[in-house]
Amino acid sequence: MLLAPPVGLLILLCLKEHQKFLIRAVSLVSAGIPFALSIYTFVAYDKKLGGLQFVEKYEWSKMFGITYFVGVEGMNAPLLLLTGIVIFTGVLTMWELEDRVKEYFIWMLALVTGVFGVFMSYDMFFFFLFYEIAVVPMYILILVWGSTRKEYAAMKLTLYLMAGSGLIIPGLLLLYSTSGLFTFNMVALHGVRFDPWIQKLVFVFLYLGFGVLAAAWPFHTWSPVGHVAAPTAVSMLHAGVLMKLGSFGILRVAMYLCPEGFQYWSTFMALLATTGIVYGVFVGLAQTDLKYVIGYSSVSHMGIVCLGLATGTVDGLNGSVFQMFAHGVMTALFFSAVGYIYDRTHTRDIHELGGFSRIMPVASAFFIVAALCGAGVPGMASFWAELLVFIAAFKVFPIAGLLAIAALVVGALFALRVVQNTFYNEPNPKFMHFEDVSPFLGLPRMILIGALLLFGFFPQMMLGLIKTSIVPFLQGM
Amino acid sequence: MNVKLFGPELYYLLMALVFFGLSLRRRENVKQDYQIALALTGLGVVVTLLSLFQQGDLFYQAYKVDLFSQIFKFALALGLFLVLTISHNLAHIENRYHAEYYLFLTTTTIGMMLLVSSVELLTIYVALELSSYSLYILVPLRRGDDIDVEAGIKYLFIGAVSSGFMLFGLSYIFGITHTTYITEIVPKLGQLVDSPIGIIGLLLTLSGFFFKLSVFPFHFWAPDVYQGAANQVTAFIATASKAAAVALLLRLTALGSASGFSFTQALWVLAIVSMTLGNLVAIVQKDFKRLLAYSSIAHAGYFLIGILTLKADGFTAAIYYALAYLIMNFSVFLVINEVAKDGRDLKLPELAGLYRRSPLLSMTLILGIFALAGVPPSIGFTGKLLLFTSAMNQGYFWLVLIGAVNGTVSLYYYLKVVYAAYFVEDGGLPPVQLSVPIRILNLAMAAIIIGFGVFPDRIVNLAREAVKGIL
Repeated sequence: MLLAPPVGLLILLCLKEHQKFLIRAVSLVSAGIPFALSIYTFVAYDKKLGGLQFVEKYEWSKMFGITYFVGVEGMNAPLLLLTGIVIFTGVLTMWELEDRVKEYFIWMLALVTGVFGVFMSYDMFFFFLFYEIAVVPMYILILVWGSTRKEYAAMKLTLYLMAGSGLIIPGLLLLYSTSGLFTFNMVALHGVRFDPWIQKLVFVFLYLGFGVLAAAWPFHTWSPVGHVAAPTAVSMLHAGVLMKLGSFGILRVAMYLCPEGFQYWSTFMALLATTGIVYGVFVGLAQTDLKYVIGYSSVSHMGIVCLGLATGTVDGLNGSVFQMFAHGVMTALFFSAVGYIYDRTHTRDIHELGGFSRIMPVASAFFIVAALCGAGVPGMASFWAELLVFIAAFKVFPIAGLLAIAALVVGALFALRVVQNTFYNEPNPKFMHFEDVSPFLGLPRMILIGALLLFGFFPQMMLGLIKTSIVPFLQGM
Repeated sequence: MNVKLFGPELYYLLMALVFFGLSLRRRENVKQDYQIALALTGLGVVVTLLSLFQQGDLFYQAYKVDLFSQIFKFALALGLFLVLTISHNLAHIENRYHAEYYLFLTTTTIGMMLLVSSVELLTIYVALELSSYSLYILVPLRRGDDIDVEAGIKYLFIGAVSSGFMLFGLSYIFGITHTTYITEIVPKLGQLVDSPIGIIGLLLTLSGFFFKLSVFPFHFWAPDVYQGAANQVTAFIATASKAAAVALLLRLTALGSASGFSFTQALWVLAIVSMTLGNLVAIVQKDFKRLLAYSSIAHAGYFLIGILTLKADGFTAAIYYALAYLIMNFSVFLVINEVAKDGRDLKLPELAGLYRRSPLLSMTLILGIFALAGVPPSIGFTGKLLLFTSAMNQGYFWLVLIGAVNGTVSLYYYLKVVYAAYFVEDGGLPPVQLSVPIRILNLAMAAIIIGFGVFPDRIVNLAREAVKGIL
């Protein structure tokens, strides 16, 4: 799964710029293989057995205790599936790209390699290595193929994220050097009981470092700007998958290795998360640019993920991981719909679009489905995820839970207003001549909707899987 | 005396004689000279490689041949060879001086080779001066406006002052230990290292090499010399000369390994100031070479992180990073030299549209820049990680934190270079034509940056063996 994107990347390097169809085909295949494999691991994972499966382990550097150690468990299988879905649909969404196609797909595949690597790695060194590989291509992707204020956004995003990794590295190295084991293997390090003060210190560094990428309030300011500037598929990948790297890092590294630090800081985490939820909802709905609306709603949805993590209960973590998946698919759908509309009309202004569903009923439908999902309508995947998180939050932090629920109810109301203003007002005569989505270009969006509905009606498929790893995870803490 | 032990130095001495002979001819033959120089230096790399595993003492134990010195001799030979590969268009050096250019590059290399093997203070000083004087001549060799003269004078003055500091420090060390042999100094210095005279003596001695590495407060020459010297000479100063400086700093700080708190504390401050100053000032630079000069000041700080640990793993990391720095910095200079074919100073906007004018060069540039910034999976990332790990193992948490934050700051100006090359449209700048050997060189650099970044084990093992000899 990890191998296909880099191999595709190497093949692309050898192709010529003008062989556009071939380039797209190679990219699609090298995105399709991991997609198929991620479905396979998701289905073939043996829930009764639990634990780590599909493990690959090679010694990399004996001196520094680095091992190439990847595996799949209940916690990361959904996220791998998410990445598979989003990259596959992402390549399909960018099928119409004409400018510097080859370079675009090269950077995109590099990014995807990083993302897959982070989700699978059980070695801190490789975790960090892949993390950086996933972050750096964003700069070029936004800079060259982006829109609205792209130079500013690309630089801001990169500096924020690199500042985050500037905090992560000292944290990881402190764990490495105080463990006395001289190994980067996370499973081995988990067995070490670090001093409480080290745990507390390192947890802050890791939480802030990964929190930047998870757009935890108040480090979220790069994210709406970045989403708006990025080209469609990159927004999809970015909001859909990359932000999950942050929350996954908090779960996988920070909480796993510093349980006492987590307990010490969990109230603080919940506070930040709840602020993020409320803030994201209210700021988002004052926006008139569709992408900004989605960008701020992402901030609030990632707040839900962090709130779930902060509870430290089975339900909370379950819901949190599920929410990562649901939100990923949902935002991908959002951006993919907006991207299509923007490519045609060159505007994302809510009032200018007014009544758009009469012009492009299908494209609008995609957006509306995503909006419903964002509002947490039953029957959508995110409904279950948010429900679980709120139940858990209500038990552990009653006030925070209440605030978050209230914010979401208000948010749902406003979301419906956005939909109404954008799609059901008087149509703008300027855009009358545009055609609706063709079946081929609709395909990626259909896949995304399918995933949302499938796990909305059968949440047990996902939750049962996540639980197999959350329960031992919490026992280990 | 075993001639084989002294082989690389003798070879380069003969080479210098050949160039001396060439420089005496009345009529210059630029092309032929270049071919001879390239062939000889290429052979030099092989010679140093063959003598990599030799061991022994020479000249009454003042000169030690061990793995440590041989690795650096190989690095120096490689650096010289690489610099000559980009010397095919010495546009800013007059034709009749070409033979001198080769001659002085060779003599400075000899000086540095002697330097990395010397284990006696006076030998170190003499070797240092040999290498410095050649560079003092090379810097103002550039034809053109007055900036070369300014650079030459600055380099000479600051170099002379730091040599003075160094001699002063040496006199202190000799005064308290009554010997100039490093092996004898270490036991005698013992508890004296923490006394004021010991610390001052040691720090002043190091200042000669702080100058070469452009560590704060001896960094003032770097921006002007980088900009003022011909591109190829700058490339040599920025690669080979830095490697030699790191080697000597390692050898001399090993003297202070018995020290307690205060000696490392002084280095700690220098490291932080160098990193921060270099990175912050680099942000506002417009000239590419000036930017690289400030980046080299920042990198001097990173080197000090590994050096001040005074432990084997820190020294190993510093050696690895010195080799990595040579490769990645050279890759960037390779691009500068090819884009600025007429030997002018390259401004950042002149990189515009490089991705279209020469995709290969833009790939090398982006790899070199990302390696300097410490982005994985490159040789620079692995090196930085090793440095940070070794410092963390000694408990320098804040140093690592500041280093990591500095990495973020530096990314800003490195990304400005990427921005210019990838985003700005060329606006009619001509495409860059590359000859076949340069193409191969580009690919080789890219392969090394990625390859040794992902598989560092072999070099790290070698460096670890080498460190055993000096600690």
